Formats: sequence, structure tokens, C-alpha cells
Amino acid sequence: MNPLATPARTLTRAETDAFGAELDALRAETLAGLGQADVDHIRRMIKLVRYTEVGGRALLHFGIGPLTFVVGTTALAASKILENMEVGHNVMHGQYTWTGDPDLDGARYEWDTACTGDDWRHSHNYEHHTFTNVLGKDRDVGYGFLRVSRAQRWRPGHLAQPVGAALLALLFQWGVGAHDLHLDETLRGKQSLAELRRRGAPFAKKAAWQLAKDYVIAPALALANAPRVLAGNLLANLGRNVWTFAVIFCGHFPAGTEVFPVTSLEGEGRGDWYLRQLRGSANIEGGRAFHVMTGHLSHQIEHHLFPDLPAARYPALAPRVQAICARYGQPYCTGSFAHQLGSVAKQIVRNALPG
Amino acid sequence: MLSRLSALPRAAWSRLFLDRQAAFWLAELSPTWAPGERRARVVDVLDETADTKTFVLAPGRRWPGHRAGQFVPVEVEIAGVRVRRCYSISSGASAPGAATIAITVRCVPGGRVSPWLHANLRRGSVVGLGDPAGDFVAAATPGPLLLVGGGSGITPILAIVRDLAARDALGDVVVVHAARSADDAIGAAVFAALEPSHLGLRVVAHRDAMEGTLDAAALLAHVPDLAARTAYACGPAGLVELVAAAGPAALHVERFVAAPPPRLRDPAAPVAIRLARSGREVTAAGRGSLLEQLERAGEAPKYGCRLGVCQSCRCRKVSGIVEDAVTGARSDAPDEDIRLCVSIARSNLELAL
Repeated sequence: MNPLATPARTLTRAETDAFGAELDALRAETLAGLGQADVDHIRRMIKLVRYTEVGGRALLHFGIGPLTFVVGTTALAASKILENMEVGHNVMHGQYTWTGDPDLDGARYEWDTACTGDDWRHSHNYEHHTFTNVLGKDRDVGYGFLRVSRAQRWRPGHLAQPVGAALLALLFQWGVGAHDLHLDETLRGKQSLAELRRRGAPFAKKAAWQLAKDYVIAPALALANAPRVLAGNLLANLGRNVWTFAVIFCGHFPAGTEVFPVTSLEGEGRGDWYLRQLRGSANIEGGRAFHVMTGHLSHQIEHHLFPDLPAARYPALAPRVQAICARYGQPYCTGSFAHQLGSVAKQIVRNALPG
Repeated sequence: MLSRLSALPRAAWSRLFLDRQAAFWLAELSPTWAPGERRARVVDVLDETADTKTFVLAPGRRWPGHRAGQFVPVEVEIAGVRVRRCYSISSGASAPGAATIAITVRCVPGGRVSPWLHANLRRGSVVGLGDPAGDFVAAATPGPLLLVGGGSGITPILAIVRDLAARDALGDVVVVHAARSADDAIGAAVFAALEPSHLGLRVVAHRDAMEGTLDAAALLAHVPDLAARTAYACGPAGLVELVAAAGPAALHVERFVAAPPPRLRDPAAPVAIRLARSGREVTAAGRGSLLEQLERAGEAPKYGCRLGVCQSCRCRKVSGIVEDAVTGARSDAPDEDIRLCVSIARSNLELAL
């Protein structure tokens, strides 16, 4: 399907099952080894989120001059990125629910972004991770308005998608937040306004809170420094939006990832499911700090194979997953951040045009 | 109008400062200050016998108080996992906000929690405490009592005797204190200290190593007027059955000490499932996951991927054994979360559905 991808060897039924069994064994081994180090890691991350948030906000509220503004805004943006990606996304996948700590309970965690935890658990944990890259089933393929693969039908509206993608990058938390409302279906007359209102009520509440927190309450508390706090919060949210957009678009849209027809789900076994996750996902190479700042979504392949394993385990699992893939002749899509991002940009521009 | 005006600031206060920030920063300052969870600091550790220690705990201002003989769930984190065990409170009754309470724990070889407590709890350690509970408690002014404790089962009886002594209400109390040997008799010194000053208290020390395991004849010989007494029994299942069979006027039993493990069944055998929230009882039969079995029985639990990926069907298993169909891992401890779509029932179950 994609000219750049190493063609995947078609596996026999027995090979597919064996491939699945090897990955199952890797998962079971990791699960059995979970312990104090994993909990210590996520608690360290939560601490880092809190300290950078309070530090960043304090610099914005009480600081004078441009240096404290830049440092404060950066700290707040980093805090939001870490909270959303390494803590929120991973905790909400249930990666730490085994600890029994109510603060790490995947079913209850609520993150610092416009999307409600419950909408996310449905649209992401269930829809996206179950039906990954299946056209018509996984609403994350192009988010309902972008054409990211030639297998998607072209519409004239796609001509504007480079601009649309850039806007989405700036407003990413709102795109994610509204994702489970199925706005596109209402626009096409497939979903009633009443149903949209029902779906939208929790989102509206969360959105109002997020806006009030960063743009009303925090500036009001800053008194004379209100404009500075407002600007800092706005920039921190924008920075978080662009960063998360970039990382997430590199997860499934670079050249080398595949999309699948609905028919691929028929009679799909565990091994087939693993194969689809592998072929639909792409990694980003980088250092330890980079991986943490992406919430380890830079290991999108490992994340899609093992969404409920603590993400900080992915870097250690990656070489073993890669070795299994090599043995079964399966491609393992990875590249530098610049390379993957460039590839995504190319896909978005290329697929704006028909054909 | 005023209440509507203050609704937003109040919501803001509770979400921004109480839920998220305050909880974190209070816990940062001191682990016992975390709101929402009751945590106690260990203030002393006392050796009772070679394998038993008493942990004296400062339960903090949020301690609701307890009646002598009750137990308390104790929560600790072992290798990153929070585990809870119920221990009898061995100190006498406590008032709300009491300065200290004590639990007395025998180290069960091969156990998950008690050896850890022995090895790791020291002065200054912090443990979580649940609500004290249990009806193994004596009336305020009880009639003739028979208190039978075997092994570590003596701990709630120690509490009852301490409480009665503190209130000078030891009117007519016989304690049968069964232990392997004098060295293993937890709390023997406490009884020895109380006996001379409380004429209504008689303590019978039964040492298995010298006299053999306590039997009906020995029990009646120790307590000839057993039939006229209200009995409290705590200890191994055999001891409790013995007291029940001897026919006391009334019997109170503390059961958690020797809860029988659930029986492991063939994966294909039908199991009874109690759904704690809805109060329904269903029979799950036939092959397949717990989710499929529940659906066949007419239930509609929440689910998503049906592959063990998305966690939508995660629910609390109150008791029983299930097996993970993918990893083969077994969940047999009470109060663990399971995913219905990949769980195979291996015993009768109770689920929080």
C-alpha cells in the first residue's frame, strides 16, 4: 500500500499464531515483573508535574520582566505536556491500576485538558486501540476531516487540509475534546442535535472549567499581573497543543504505516490483531527525556501492542519487539522526529490532492 | 441569590485547591495529612513472642473510635501494590481521635503481608487504616463470659479483657488461652498482671505442647459451668467448632482469622456469581469468559474491546478466584480488580456489579 514500506511478509495461520504467542509471552513476562520501580517512576512524574506547574505559575504571577515570563511559561507548558502524556494518557489506559492506589486508578483519573476522562476512555482506549487504523471504524484516522492515506476517498474539501491540520495543531486540545461528540456526523445529518447535546454536556462542563481556570481565575488571582498570567497560560496551552499534535500525528500517519479495510476484522485472532497494531503504528527515535516528554508515545508500536503495560517499560521492550518482527519478516516503522514529522507533512499535502 | 453567586468560587475552590492541589501538597508535607485517606504513624514496635509483634499506631484526628474486639483494615504498599489485611485491635476500646491503638500481628511464614510488616514497619512508618468493624464485642455490662482464644486469635480477646478491666467490669470472666507453648502465648503477661487485681477474672492457660490440643473434655474440665456462659471464640477453625459443640449459652465467633480459601473449580463447571450492587445471584455456565457467561445469564455488564485491551469491563472482584485467559495469571485475593472479557471463573464469585 505504501511505496516506502518494506513489504510485510504474509504470514501463514500458524506463523501468525506463533507471532501472537511470542508477544503475549513478552507481555506476561513484563506484567509479572511490575513493581516498586514502576510506581516510583509515575509518582516522580506526578511530582514533577506539580512542582513545574506551581513553579511556572508562581513565576508568571509574581515575576517581573521577560526572563521569568519565558521560564514560567515554559515550565507550565512542560507541566501540562507531562501531565497529559506521561501521567494522564498512561494512567487512563489502566497502566498503573494494578497498584491499587486511587490516584493511579485508570477508570477515575481526570486530566488537565479540555477532553473529559470518560470521553477519552471511550474514543481512545476502546475505539482507537481496538480498531486501530481500520477505515470507517477508527475515527482517529484523519480525525474525520483529514485524508492521511490514499485508501481514503478524496473530497474537494481535502484541498484545504494543510491549513486545517495547522489549525488543528494550535487548537489540538479542543479537537481532542470534541472528538467523541461526533460533530461530523451531525453535520452530515447522521446524528440528531439532541444526541449531540447529550454527548456534549460533560464536555461543555469540562471545557468551561478549563477556560475558567487558566483565563479567569488564575489572571484574577494575579491582580496587576493579570495580562501577563493570561498570556503565559495561553502560550503554555498553545505550546502543549502543538507538541502533542506533532507527537500524536507521528504515531499513525508517517509513510510506512498502513490502514485496513473493515473486512480485515473478520475472524481476526490475537496474532492478527498484533500484526495490525504493528503495521498501523510508527515510532520516533530519541533520548530518554524526549521519550518521557512524549509520554512514551514515541514508542507508539509498543504502546499499541501493549497499551496496558506501564509506558516507561516500552524503551526496554522495543529491541525485543523489533527482533521478533525481524524474525517474522515484519516491518518496524521508526525514524527521527524530523524525519517522521516531515513524512506526515508530506502525506497531508500529498493526500490533499486526488489520487 | 447569594448561594448562586458563591457556587462558582466554591466549585473553583474545591476543584483547584482541594481535589488536585491541596491533596498533593498536604501529602508532600506529611503523608498523614493527605485528605481522603486515613493514615496512621507507627509510634512503637513491641516484641510479644518470637514470631509476634505489636505495632502501636497513632491513628490521627480522623480516627472514628472503636469497640474492644473489633478489627481494622490495614493498608500497606508492598512492591508498589497496595494490599489490605484486617487485624484485630489488641488495645482496649478507643474514643474518636484517640492518641494510639495497637494491632498485634503474628508473622505467618510464606504470607504476603505479615512478614513484610515484621520486616519493614518501624517507628515513623506510615500505614493506611480503614474503618474499624466487626461485632466480636462484649456488652457494656456483660453476664458470665467465656473467652476462648487460640494462637493469634487471642488478640481481640486481649482487647475485650483490657476494656473490661479499664471499666472495672470484669465481673465473671473465664479466659481460655490456648497456645503451642508458654513462649508462644501472646499477651500472657497482660493476663498475669490483671488477674490478681480483678477477682472476677480467671485465666486458664492451655499449652498444646504439654497438654495436647484442646479437646471437649479438657474444655469442660477447665470451665464446668460453660453452658451458663456467653462464649467468644477466635482462633483456628477446629477450636471455634469445639467451643460451638460444647454448647455455651450464646456464641460469638471472629471468622476472618481462618477464612476458608475458595474452592478451585474446573473452568467448564458452572459457578454461582453474586452481584453485590444489584443484589442478584446468577449461575455462569458454559465455556467462555466471565463477560460471555454473564451475558448468557441475562446480565449486561459494561464492555468495550472484548480483547483485554481497553479496560472498559474492569470491575472489582469482591471474592473468589479468576484466571486471566491470556496470561494464565490467577487472582485469588479478595478485592482485586479484574477484566471480565479475559477472566475465566475458577470458583464461586462475588463481583461489585
